[in-house]
Amino acid sequence: MDQDLRVVSVSRSFYEVFKVRPDQTVGQLIYDLGNKQWDIPKLRELLENILPQQASFDNYEVEHDFATIGRRIMLLNARQIQRVLGKERIILLAIEDITERREIETGLVRAHDELEALATELTRTARAKSEFLANMSHELRTPLNSINGFSEVLFDETFGPLNDKQRKYVSNVLTSGKHLLALINQILDMAKVEAGKMKLALSSLPLRGILDEITMLVTDLALKKKIVLKLEIADDLPDIEADELKVREIVYNLLSNAVKFTPIGGEIGMRAKSKGAAIEVEVWDTGVGIAAENMERIFEGFFRVDTPYSRLTEGTGLGLPLARKMVELHGGKLSIESKGLDKGTLVKFTLPMLAPRES
Amino acid sequence: MKKIALIIDDNENNLLLEKDLLEVAGFEVYVAENASLGISLAIEKLPHIIIMDMRLPDMRGSEAAKVLLAKPETHHIPIVFVTASVLAEGIEEIKAIPNAVFIGKPINTRTFAKEVAQFMK
Repeated sequence: MDQDLRVVSVSRSFYEVFKVRPDQTVGQLIYDLGNKQWDIPKLRELLENILPQQASFDNYEVEHDFATIGRRIMLLNARQIQRVLGKERIILLAIEDITERREIETGLVRAHDELEALATELTRTARAKSEFLANMSHELRTPLNSINGFSEVLFDETFGPLNDKQRKYVSNVLTSGKHLLALINQILDMAKVEAGKMKLALSSLPLRGILDEITMLVTDLALKKKIVLKLEIADDLPDIEADELKVREIVYNLLSNAVKFTPIGGEIGMRAKSKGAAIEVEVWDTGVGIAAENMERIFEGFFRVDTPYSRLTEGTGLGLPLARKMVELHGGKLSIESKGLDKGTLVKFTLPMLAPRES
Repeated sequence: MKKIALIIDDNENNLLLEKDLLEVAGFEVYVAENASLGISLAIEKLPHIIIMDMRLPDMRGSEAAKVLLAKPETHHIPIVFVTASVLAEGIEEIKAIPNAVFIGKPINTRTFAKEVAQFMK
């Protein structure tokens, strides 16, 4: 533009964006362009008041509703230059159409706000869920403790002998009651882990001894099914820093699963060795295995593959998911492998020798 | 001489089960369904041990324990809290009371009387 704000020369993209022809543009006063569409108050202020004082301006945002192309948001940059000869000034005006960019930005901000609202809602729901579960499990346990307590006293024949049928029935009540109690406790544990409320009580653990002890616990179960139990625990297995009760539960869950899902006469085993800064434990069996399509579902909780064994074996379906959660809480990993149905199962988990510090 | 126990619990089933287990073990057992009844019964019968729930209808078990501690005739009686909330804060609450211990719920019917007898010394 010259110093009277008449257009001298225009880039081709200007014609394209604003849908105007050169003959309607060159030589015109800028405000008259496109049927006086450029007579924008803010532009007038920029060109007439600001530019003469400071010779340039940057990133001036102007929003205008054009008759031909609709509402646009533009970013204006201008430079006022003195010609070498003479006293005329020319003005360079760069116009950037940022309508789309601004729409994307606004959309992003909105999406971010919506996500934040959603996250808040999710946190609230998760807290409500875990509080509900904690209360529910207390309410369920109180009457259940009565059922178990009284049937235990009956079963022990504290107040007189029972006949065979009575003893059998009360034993069934007790078994079912204990099963239900285990379920409630495991559901509560899952809820605690999910709510981030399960804390580790760390101490230095003689892991070798603990693995031996838990093996003793399942030996009886294994013997009943004539299952051979093979142990390969490294002699130099170091002590680790971990939560003793949880480590016991992890190992017990895995070993008792191995016994449960291995038919009579099969084999199960446990290997443990140190690997880098962690301990790696493998629990394997020659049992029913896992079909490929069920590989992830077994971690969902309450998923029990419908095999003859699952009907024979009482379980909660929460042992494996809970074991994985507790391994992860220690900063370790738990994975499972099976070549398919009836091909056995291998569960592998790691526990770091030093537990992760709470952040 | 027969050992005397007092059980304070508002849950009838807990009361009955614990009473049965202690009677089988040779205790003479008194029961109360709330803290105020329990406190007056304690003063009247002077039991060797008190078994108490933490959640009682009229006050918390720990408050009842403070009342008993403040009375010269009952301040020496050991108290066993039977409580489900074996949470850190619950344990702290019990630890703050002299002469008190806790047994976690569910009680083990085979060892309950033995555990209670142990706390009497």
